[in-house]
Amino acid sequence: MKSFDMPVGPLHVSLEEPMYFRIHVEGEQVAGIEITAGHVHRGIEYLTAKRNIYQNLALIERVCSLCSNSHPQAYCMGLEKIAGIEVPERAQYLRVIADEIKRAASNMFNVAILAHIVGFESLFMHVMEAREIMQDTKETVFGNRMDLAANVIGGVKFDIDEAGAAYVIGQLNRLEPILVKEIIPLYETNASILSRTRGVGVINREQCIDYGLMGPVARGSGYAYDVRTAAPYAVYDRLDVEVITYPDGDVWSRAMVRLREVVEAIRLMRLCLRELPEGPLTAGPLPFIPAGEAITKVEAPRGELIYYLKTDGTDIPARVKWRVPTYMNWDALEVMMVGDRISDIPLIVNSIDPCISCTER
Amino acid sequence: MAFLKILLDNLRKGPATEAFPFGEATTPDAYRGKVTFDETSCVGCNMCEHVCAGGAIRFSEKEDGLHFLIWHNTCISCGLCAHYCPTKAIKLSNNWHLSHLQEEKYEQVDHAVVPYRECTSCGKRLQPGGPMLHQLAFKGANPRSERLMNMCPDCRRKVSYIGEAV
Repeated sequence: MKSFDMPVGPLHVSLEEPMYFRIHVEGEQVAGIEITAGHVHRGIEYLTAKRNIYQNLALIERVCSLCSNSHPQAYCMGLEKIAGIEVPERAQYLRVIADEIKRAASNMFNVAILAHIVGFESLFMHVMEAREIMQDTKETVFGNRMDLAANVIGGVKFDIDEAGAAYVIGQLNRLEPILVKEIIPLYETNASILSRTRGVGVINREQCIDYGLMGPVARGSGYAYDVRTAAPYAVYDRLDVEVITYPDGDVWSRAMVRLREVVEAIRLMRLCLRELPEGPLTAGPLPFIPAGEAITKVEAPRGELIYYLKTDGTDIPARVKWRVPTYMNWDALEVMMVGDRISDIPLIVNSIDPCISCTER
Repeated sequence: MAFLKILLDNLRKGPATEAFPFGEATTPDAYRGKVTFDETSCVGCNMCEHVCAGGAIRFSEKEDGLHFLIWHNTCISCGLCAHYCPTKAIKLSNNWHLSHLQEEKYEQVDHAVVPYRECTSCGKRLQPGGPMLHQLAFKGANPRSERLMNMCPDCRRKVSYIGEAV
């Protein structure tokens, strides 16, 4: 059998993000991989120490498009922790709605890309069209399709009134049947999807723990870790979040976890809209942030997102640092890929839902 | 086979995209588009300039008043200015028609002058303040508060201390 090294990337391996692998191949099979990182390093962590806490809200939101709500949320939680700000209950519920609507759209995007890589373009279009319901909802409620700009220090800066709630529920009612009756059964039964994704890119539960994997990747291997239940923030402790797991740890399981999580996100949004209490949206006008340190974590669509913040009493943070789930998930590709065929590389890369712009910031 | 039904349904439904530019594109009211500025309710607190992530807003003090400037090309429509504006003088409209030629990029600027006021009692130059601020501070208006509104702090104190006679 002939063995050689081949480069994959740095552009468009599966998503339009730069990933560069040197793949060691034996025949048709992957024998080892080497990752070259750093193609989209923009120095955003450094920039946060050059801007004030308000400007950073907009900067941090633009680290990544798909988890763009989780970053400011973790950042605001950190500042609120340092300053001892009590976020009003209505704002907490609205934060959950913003979080879940992004999760729904992000997960559907990843699952759609899976169909695209498999070559099932009409399914890709169908999932993207269904996802467009969530995109329209975001544009109508928050004013933008991707950057919600929902969070401010001490609360939120959007509101959902009665008409707004009725609109969102109407949109959820449109999406849910498409998801439950059409998309999920297709991913469960369609032969082209199953033959390409079942048993491909396998990682087991123990390896997940070894590599510190997070989010749908870990849950797809049966490791039921979710920040929303392990360390609940906002009002997640009252919502009884169901942690979805699949036992097999292959590409298909990770996709199914993501799809089921969209259904769960729809349930959580409905619950929040029903129980939305009256009250203010923010805690007071302008916060004073004393010197201090804080660590916060939230469940981004890709897994656990950790923020570290250090302030020095001015309104420019001394240090902001974050760790994103893709950092570990990316490393585990060497476990998932070895033994699989070259043609499955894009599928496996996509199955960890990599977010390179978050990881390399 | 299950997908055939979906294909047929989609075929029956027709295109899912909007017909723009040949038809109307729906724009929600809450859409964060081009920034609008109302110089009559601006109080010159400069908070919008402070929070502006893109550095799109500039205030400068000149003889005739506070000069407000926004360069739309570096605005990222985050809405922080509108959120932190105490009198809601700066807002985001749902106008997204911002395309222009490359050579016009430095002309995408809106400029407004927020005039200074003069104290009705001593004529001293004052920071701008408008009915919106008045409403915000006193939760309503009466002839007395309206009269005091247009005075400098010193005259206001004098009037409050001595009485309405001054």
